[in-house]
Amino acid sequence: MKSLLLLVALGSLAVAPRAARNGTIRGRVELRHQPAPIERRPGVADLGGNAPLDVQNLLRSVVYLESAPRSAFDTESEGHAVMDQRNETFVPHVLAITTGTTVDFPNSDKFYHNVFSLSKTKRFDLGRYAAGNSKAVKFDRAGIVRVFCDIHSHMNAYILVFSHPFFAITDDEGRYHIDNVPPGTYNVVAWHEGASADPKPVTVPEGGTAELDFAIK
Amino acid sequence: MKGEALRVACLLLVCAASSATAQESRFTYAGDVSATVGSADPGFFNYTDYEHSALRMLRIDLSGAWHTNEHVSFLGEVRTENFDEIEPYAAYVRIRPWKDRDFDIQAGRVPPTFGGFARRTYATDNPLIGYPLAYQYLTSIRPDSLPATAAELVRKKGLGWEDVFSIGSQVRDRGVPLVSAFRWDTGVQVHAATHDKMFAATASITTGTVSNPLFKDDNSGRQLAGRFETRPVVGLVIGVSGARGPFVTSDAARAAVGDGHESDLTQTAWGVDVEYSRDHYLVRLESIASDWTLPLVRQPFLQLPLRAVSTSVEGRYKIAPGFYVAARIDHLGFSDVDPGTGATPWDAPVSRLEMGGGVSIQRNLLLKLVYQYNTRDGGPLDHTAHQSAAQLVFWF
Repeated sequence: MKSLLLLVALGSLAVAPRAARNGTIRGRVELRHQPAPIERRPGVADLGGNAPLDVQNLLRSVVYLESAPRSAFDTESEGHAVMDQRNETFVPHVLAITTGTTVDFPNSDKFYHNVFSLSKTKRFDLGRYAAGNSKAVKFDRAGIVRVFCDIHSHMNAYILVFSHPFFAITDDEGRYHIDNVPPGTYNVVAWHEGASADPKPVTVPEGGTAELDFAIK
Repeated sequence: MKGEALRVACLLLVCAASSATAQESRFTYAGDVSATVGSADPGFFNYTDYEHSALRMLRIDLSGAWHTNEHVSFLGEVRTENFDEIEPYAAYVRIRPWKDRDFDIQAGRVPPTFGGFARRTYATDNPLIGYPLAYQYLTSIRPDSLPATAAELVRKKGLGWEDVFSIGSQVRDRGVPLVSAFRWDTGVQVHAATHDKMFAATASITTGTVSNPLFKDDNSGRQLAGRFETRPVVGLVIGVSGARGPFVTSDAARAAVGDGHESDLTQTAWGVDVEYSRDHYLVRLESIASDWTLPLVRQPFLQLPLRAVSTSVEGRYKIAPGFYVAARIDHLGFSDVDPGTGATPWDAPVSRLEMGGGVSIQRNLLLKLVYQYNTRDGGPLDHTAHQSAAQLVFWF
C-alpha cells in the first residue's frame, strides 16, 4: 500500500495540452468490511471510568490518481490544514494533503495531548501541550503518515500526503469526485485505513466526467 | 473474599447482568508483554521473592473490559511471570450510577488506591525497567512470621527476599515491600472527581494492607485507604494517600501475644506524589512512609512502630521521535531499634540510581536499556551492585 502511495513517477504520464478542458472522475467506494470502532484500552488500573468517546466517522476513504500529469508537479503547496484533538479523538480521522502543506494540531481538550508519528514519511513528536495551544508540522514528502497520541493510546489518525492535487476523500455514503483532471488515461486507487482496492484504469474525456466505482474488502 | 465484600460483589454482578442489553454491550481487550534480561543479582536488590527478579522476567498481561451498558462494566486482568502460573491480577465490577458524573464504585480485586506508581506498573508506563524501591524492595518483615526480639529482627537485615522468624510460620518466604506493585487488594472502592478533573478522591475498604494485598483475608480487620488528587494546572498532578489496616495474620498474632490483639498490629502508610510534565519532559517525585506495629514479645523489645521511608525522583526526556532517556534516584531508610548493642536501623537502608533510555522500534514495540547502581548499608549479602538490563515491550 505504501508503494501505491509513494506516488507518482514524474515521467509517467499522459501529458495533457494546457489548452484542453479538464474533466472529472467521480464514483463511489463501497466498504465490504465494517471498520472496528476506536476504543480505549480496558483501563483496568484506572480508579474510575471515562466519559464515552465521540463516535468517529471511520467510513471515509481516499481516492487518488496513482500517476498524475507532469504539470501537477510544477508547484508545491504552501497550504494549511488542521487536525484537531477533541475528546481524545483526532478530527478528522483521515486527512489528505499535498506535499508542502503544514498541518496544525490544536488541542481542544482540557488535558494534555502528545501528537507523534514514527512513520518513515515523517517522524515527529510534538511533546505535551495544553488546551488552546497548537503545534504544526510541515509535510514535505509523499506517503502515509500514521498519527498517534503518546498519552492516549487509542487516538490514531491518518494523513495521506500526495505530490499532486488529484485526490478526494469520500463523503458519508462513499461518494467522491476528483475535479479538474486533465484529459487522459490514469490508474486510480481507492484506499481505506491501510487497505486499498486494486488500481483501476480510467479515461477522462476533455471537459467530461468519467465514472469509476470501487469495492474495498 | 468473604463476608460482606462477597455479598456486595454478588449483588453487583446480579444487577449488572440484569441490566445488560445487547445493543449497548461491548468488549475491549489489551495485552502487554515484556521480556527482560539482566545481569546477575546476587545481592537480591531487584527480587520480588526468592525466584523472581524484576531484571530477569518474562511478563504477560491480558486485560479485558466488558461494558454491559453505560453504567456497569466488568474488568479483569490475568498475568503470568516466567510462565509460572496464571494469576487473576484484577477482577472487579465498575458501577457508574450517573453516566455524566465522575463517580464510580468498584468492587472485587480492585486497583490500588494508595500511591502514584501502583497503577503504573505496566512496562509501557515505566520509563525504566526497575521499580521504585518502595514498591519492589522486600523488607525483612512478614505478616505471618514475627521476630520475638529486636535482636532477631536486626539479624535479618537485607534478607527480605527469603526469611523466617521464630514466631508464627516457619516456612521460608519473602518479606513485604512498603507497597506491593505485584498484587492488588480485594474489596470495595469509591472514586469521585470534579467535572474538570481538578480534584479527585478515592476511598477503599479491602482485605489486606498496601504491603500485603490479599484475596482472602488472613485476619479479622479491614484496611481503609484513601487518596486525594489535584491538578491545579495542566500537566501537574499532586496526590496524597493514606492507608491503615491490620497487618499481622491471626495465627501469628495469636502465637505472639494471644487472642484479641490483631487489630492493634497494623500497617499505616502515608504517601505524597507529584508529577509534572510539559513538552518533551516528565518529572515524578514520590515519598512514602510506612509504620508497622508488631507484637512486643521479649526483650530487647522492638521500638514501635517500625518505620520505613522511601523517596524516589524520576525523570524522562524525549530527545527525538521514538527516543527517550530516563533516570530515577531512590532511597529507602528504616527507623532505629536497639537490639542491646546500640541503636541501628531495623533493616539495611538501600539506595538506587537507575538510568537508561528507550527506543520505539515501532509504535507498540519498545526496547529499553538501563544501568542500575544499588547500595545497601548492612546485611550479609553484597552491599553494592552494578547491574544492567534490556527489556523488550510489546503491547496491543
